[in-house]
Amino acid sequence: MSREEEIVKELCDRFPFLQDRIYVQKEKRIFTKELSKEEFEQVIAFVHDEMGFYRSHHVIGTDEGDNLGFLYIVSGSDNILLILREIAPKSNPVINSICKLYPSIVLHERELVDLFGAVVEGLPEGPSYPLPDNWPKGNYPMRKEWNPKYLNKDTMTYEPPQEKEAENE
Amino acid sequence: MDLIKKAIDWGTSKSPWILHFNAGACNGCDIEVVDSLTPRFDLERVGVLKHGTPRQADILVCTGAVTLQTRDRLIQIYDQMAEPKFVIAVGTCACTGGIFDGCYCVTGGIDTVIPVDVYLPGCAVRPEAIISAVEKLLSSLKDDKGGAK
Amino acid sequence: MSETDKNKVVIPIGPQHPSLDEPATFTITLEGEKVVNAVIGVGYNHRGLEKACESRTYIQDLYIIERVCGICSHAHSTAFCMAIEELTGVKVPMRAEYIRVIVAELERLHSHLLWLGTACHEIGYDTMFMYTWRDREKILDLMASYGGNRINYGVNTFGGVRREFDETTSSDIIKTIDELDEHLKRYMEIALTETTLVSRLKGVGMLSHEDALNFGAVGPVAKAAGIGYDIRVAEPYGAYKEIPVKLITDDRADVYGRTVVRILEMQESVKIIRYAIKNMPGGDIAVKVPRRIPAGEILTRVEAPRGENIHFVRSNGTDMPDRVRVKAPTEANWHGVQHMLKSGRLADVPITIAAIDPCYSCTDRAIVVNSGDNINVMDWKQLRQYSIDWYKKEGIDITALKL
Repeated sequence: MSREEEIVKELCDRFPFLQDRIYVQKEKRIFTKELSKEEFEQVIAFVHDEMGFYRSHHVIGTDEGDNLGFLYIVSGSDNILLILREIAPKSNPVINSICKLYPSIVLHERELVDLFGAVVEGLPEGPSYPLPDNWPKGNYPMRKEWNPKYLNKDTMTYEPPQEKEAENE
Repeated sequence: MDLIKKAIDWGTSKSPWILHFNAGACNGCDIEVVDSLTPRFDLERVGVLKHGTPRQADILVCTGAVTLQTRDRLIQIYDQMAEPKFVIAVGTCACTGGIFDGCYCVTGGIDTVIPVDVYLPGCAVRPEAIISAVEKLLSSLKDDKGGAK
Repeated sequence: MSETDKNKVVIPIGPQHPSLDEPATFTITLEGEKVVNAVIGVGYNHRGLEKACESRTYIQDLYIIERVCGICSHAHSTAFCMAIEELTGVKVPMRAEYIRVIVAELERLHSHLLWLGTACHEIGYDTMFMYTWRDREKILDLMASYGGNRINYGVNTFGGVRREFDETTSSDIIKTIDELDEHLKRYMEIALTETTLVSRLKGVGMLSHEDALNFGAVGPVAKAAGIGYDIRVAEPYGAYKEIPVKLITDDRADVYGRTVVRILEMQESVKIIRYAIKNMPGGDIAVKVPRRIPAGEILTRVEAPRGENIHFVRSNGTDMPDRVRVKAPTEANWHGVQHMLKSGRLADVPITIAAIDPCYSCTDRAIVVNSGDNINVMDWKQLRQYSIDWYKKEGIDITALKL
């Protein structure tokens, strides 16, 4: 049994809900399927505290249609990347910060706030990143429905065409 | 009056101090600007000196497409420079926005924000081109005999 | 404001820092000479590349990805190409992989030489700055003769590389790196034995082993703290599966350690290039990759000169990606800087920031020194001068050094 399969087995034994929702993609890559907020928090605390996944590489935001996805990449001394996928509905994208476990994640979590409109609870105070201060509120550029064409850069307002005009075009 | 302008042009054409500003470049052109000041190309031998503060600089060497964050700062730096002042847009991005044109945080070329005197396309610009641009700019200040216009 | 707060001075540095990868603000709180707190703010170079990638085809994206950073452009394009090749299941010819390694190591050489020069410039040792940048020119010449451009050489394409590697190129490379190897020995000697340099760098910008792990440091910053984390060794990709790579680490955990790691890495790069040229197999240099990329998601990582470089690509089966995410190494090291600055003095700020290699750190970051009602305006150059003078008073005069 390879090290990857051992990790999968250990996680499945500990968390029965992970059964069939975690898979080895290839050598050194373990992906999970979509986890809810509660499920994700249990798993991340466990892998950090007890399985020796001490390094956090990144958190990647994705747009999944009605949901927002967050891919947390962590690894340990055997350099196997474990990618945990958390999802939150777009209408209420609240997630908890994991900066208590992984201090270096702060910058990446701030990015989720600015670019995806995620609400990250427990994030320490600090400057926003990476959008400018005068960025129009409520515009999250990395969401699929947002189109850079309609951003007026002189007035810093987002002006999507009215639906009627769009039909005429 | 004419004499003063002549004197200023003559002075500027001899030893221009350049100020380098990265408005959102990928670093390629920035490194080439510094390269043109190091031993191989050595712009310093013709009296060009890289300087830190806008107030003492004559030429603003600007690289990169202007991002929304640097837009106001670029204007601020340009305003702080004393007359006569010149702007060289180094690199394709600085000229037109280049490959980054249309990105949500990019306003476009340098000339969308401040007036530009010399456009220098290339990705990345070679140091020889930068030297040539400085030389062309300086020679535009001189008359045929090498004196001030 | 409490009694202790009155003794503190807050210095905002930045935000504009030309030539730096990611221009940043550093808000530094001082107590006398000592830095008690440092807060960083980044994002001034945010252009929105990842969004742009979603509305362009894969081959167009390759050129955007190459321009994420002009210095480690090859590392970025390699990671992106690897992702696409894995998604399509294409097997890249070994010859192309070897060529990629040679270019990557040349890139590492020029990037580290650049760093060595600028770090020496920050501490006032301009002689070394000029020497290393002179050496760097020779590497750029090689890039220009092989790739066609000094920077952003565009060697990579999906499925291989774009230019054949002929005899003249390899003999030119061997000739240049032999010369460079001699120079590196000299630099190593200076770095290790020159007391002026050593006393200026030793104990500055400490980031202990535990902190480096905690803050997720990568590249030479982590290696100098004794963390043997190098993707070429941890997860060999491409031709690194066949080429032996010696892992360089150091346990000094300060700027001096980072300098030593970088010089040793350069010597290692020279060895890798020699090996790769000697053992390069024949055959094709590229295979064809379809325009439409099968759906899937992939995470690749490569070792850029500054450390680990992660690319995430998700495809939805069309000719445009669904999501592209690039994580550059400097992004991981910023967290460490905040911590490194905390224990140091104001005079050590320039070299500490420069030591993580945020590319070139020099001119016009306006610094406003705000103490009570007095507001002073200082730029980066003045801060650098301040640090040189401060050390001169301490008896460490770099400017008197001769190479």
